[in-house]
Amino acid sequence: MFTPSNMKHLIIAFFLVVSTGIAAQNQTISSNEKLVFTASYNMSGILTDLAQVTMETSEVKTSKSTLLRLKCKARTFTKWDNFFKINDLYESYVSPKTLKPYLHKREISEGGYYKFMQYNYLYKTNTVKSLMRKRRGDGTFWVVNKELALTQNTKDLVSTLYQIRNLDIHKAAKGDSDTYTILLDNKESKITLTLLGKETISTNLGKKECYKLSISMNNSDLLKGQNNNLLWLTADQNKIPVYAKFKVPVGSGELRIKSATGLKH
Amino acid sequence: MRLLLTIIALISATLGLALSILPFQKIALIPIVLAFVLGFIVFKMTQKEGKNTKFVKVIFLVTIVALSLSIYRSIFDENIVENDVETINRDAQSEEDAVEELESIEIED
Repeated sequence: MFTPSNMKHLIIAFFLVVSTGIAAQNQTISSNEKLVFTASYNMSGILTDLAQVTMETSEVKTSKSTLLRLKCKARTFTKWDNFFKINDLYESYVSPKTLKPYLHKREISEGGYYKFMQYNYLYKTNTVKSLMRKRRGDGTFWVVNKELALTQNTKDLVSTLYQIRNLDIHKAAKGDSDTYTILLDNKESKITLTLLGKETISTNLGKKECYKLSISMNNSDLLKGQNNNLLWLTADQNKIPVYAKFKVPVGSGELRIKSATGLKH
Repeated sequence: MRLLLTIIALISATLGLALSILPFQKIALIPIVLAFVLGFIVFKMTQKEGKNTKFVKVIFLVTIVALSLSIYRSIFDENIVENDVETINRDAQSEEDAVEELESIEIED
């Protein structure tokens, strides 16, 4: 049966399914884009709409620079809130030109579970300053500060989620794959992305020709199987993630696009 | 046998009704269908034995109410996310905190 901890796995799985990538000049993401998804979970063999996932971008100005805020939110539909309330916020503050991340924050609030993670990327020293704040059962907080080595091309979930859309997928051949590194809970995880081909699918945005990609996780069982975690990106310049299917140890589910506004192309 | 089937049908109908009241309308269809099938079998058995079918009819009534509620809620209940003040404030606070954290950085493009 579904529990808040299952939802944590599902949300991470979603981000993993749509996360992988390399740094390139941003040709895809605008500064006021909003994508809204419906997340469904397989309950007793029946797909049940459970939560709304939104991916939004906005500009953020500091006294020295302008960054792009990539914000992903996962909220259970109000009718489920009495059973398990999920209110997660995943953010990355990146360079608008290259999508290179400078700050990542992840705030998980699922039922009574609360966890906050923050990564400050320090490129001059090739390190990541990590902060973890977790709520104990008695309501007090447990804080862990760490400094982690930053290996090349290691990214957080959110920034890679957007960088995947910057990949020149049209140049890849069917069967091509690549491996990427994601920093998750202070540990590096290897993700393999494989292009399975093109497929036209029906979505809320209409019939779309899409790139069908398979995602697998090498050193973790968070994503189950080789071709069970799939992502469909529109085969146009926006490369919108319109549909995703995932299988995790606690079950399976899917994500369907509901609306897309503020697109660059 | 008839008694056992009646008990299972009653439990299924009640479970179907409970699930259709809760936000499990789709899952509710499983016990509702089971209650219908078992209810029909029990009804035929009861008729054959020449006994009173009143109780089986009550099971059917509960099942019909559960099915109607389940279908109605599947069609008309919208999936809404409430944007409460707490969440809006958290978003704004998070951005404010981030700007503070990022004050010292310079972007290397």
